[in-house]
Amino acid sequence: MERTQMHRQLANMRKSLFDQGYLDEQFIQLEELQDDANPNFVEEVVTLFYRDSARLIQSIDQALDKSTLDFTKLDGYMHQFKGSCSSIGAKKVKSECTQFKEYCKAGNGEGCKKTFQQVKKEYATLKKKLEAYFQFARQVGPVETACRPK
Amino acid sequence: MDSATENLRGSFLYQLFDSMDLNLESDGNQNEQEQQKRHLHVLAVDDSHIDRKLLERLLTVSSYQVTCVDSGDKALEYLGLLENTDNDSTTSCSSSCCTSSSSLSPQQEASKVNLIMTDYSMPGMSGYDLLKRVKESSWKNVPVVVMSSENVPSRINMCLEGGAEQFLLKPVKLSDLRELQSHILNPLSNSCKHFDDSFVDDNTNNGSHSCKHFDDSFVDDNTNNGNDNNDNDSDKKNNNSNKRKAMSPDCSERRPKITELVVL
Repeated sequence: MERTQMHRQLANMRKSLFDQGYLDEQFIQLEELQDDANPNFVEEVVTLFYRDSARLIQSIDQALDKSTLDFTKLDGYMHQFKGSCSSIGAKKVKSECTQFKEYCKAGNGEGCKKTFQQVKKEYATLKKKLEAYFQFARQVGPVETACRPK
Repeated sequence: MDSATENLRGSFLYQLFDSMDLNLESDGNQNEQEQQKRHLHVLAVDDSHIDRKLLERLLTVSSYQVTCVDSGDKALEYLGLLENTDNDSTTSCSSSCCTSSSSLSPQQEASKVNLIMTDYSMPGMSGYDLLKRVKESSWKNVPVVVMSSENVPSRINMCLEGGAEQFLLKPVKLSDLRELQSHILNPLSNSCKHFDDSFVDDNTNNGSHSCKHFDDSFVDDNTNNGNDNNDNDSDKKNNNSNKRKAMSPDCSERRPKITELVVL
């Protein structure tokens, strides 16, 4: 039946997000907070993440554009951003953030700049994938997503 | 009247009795606990919008009432602790996140916040600063939990020494709140318990024990067996998420073992 196929497809989409390392356990925590009364909680949090962090990304870009880099400031921005990534389970983005913070600590401007390109790349990739996932989920309708990857 | 109104009435009556220091016996069954939790009010402090949303949801799902504010200053304002406000509990908090609409007397207001959960790193007043302010105030018996995304042993230690009930690593999970529950779900949380009156939190994965001494200090019996639980998150959290201060001299050897903390 088509519906079953769609359900399976959705489950596969979800599974591959975990298998490919885009999402971690925290995303499951978000799913567990979703219920019939709050059926869109995960999508709401993710939407909030992308909205909130756009500002931070811009701040970091601007700060990286200066001739002399303020690593303390950069680290501060990145700390906030990384925290948000962590809160939604954005695994790859978070790991690039960690790398960025290492370069900040080392005062390595080039390292920071290069890594930030990676941050933005992973951030954009995840956004596309999650948008596709949520969109498909809406088509499929309410579905059990309670399979924890063990 | 509908059940929601009934609950509300029950909540008000409960708080009223609590503030009158009556000895409400609880037989501690599940239903009773759930009922108690609904009367428990958490003040959540975090400058991150996402984390506030998360925390609010976590706490609501766990049956607590929640008020969120986005700074230490707003928290102090809510608690009536800012210098330029009088202690009139009807002084309104300007934060749009503040859900409290109090018409209670200061004494009743004082029973309204049962737990404070605060982020550590915030612009302006840090979670530690807030902790100290609370512990120096008339709210000093309210447990304060500090949260941070960074696993810094000296920071954890400092907060515990400063009077924090617990230090949680972010992101906070439902299981963390279940562990907290046993600390908070004590109907007479401000009372003294007998020395050998211990309670074990059956919900924890690492089976930590605690007993409340007569002078309200805590003994940390945490035997740090976080590595062999069968929960999925075998990460750094379970090793130190239940760090509590040891105040009794004869328990100094059972202080949280900082050296065993895993550095991210």
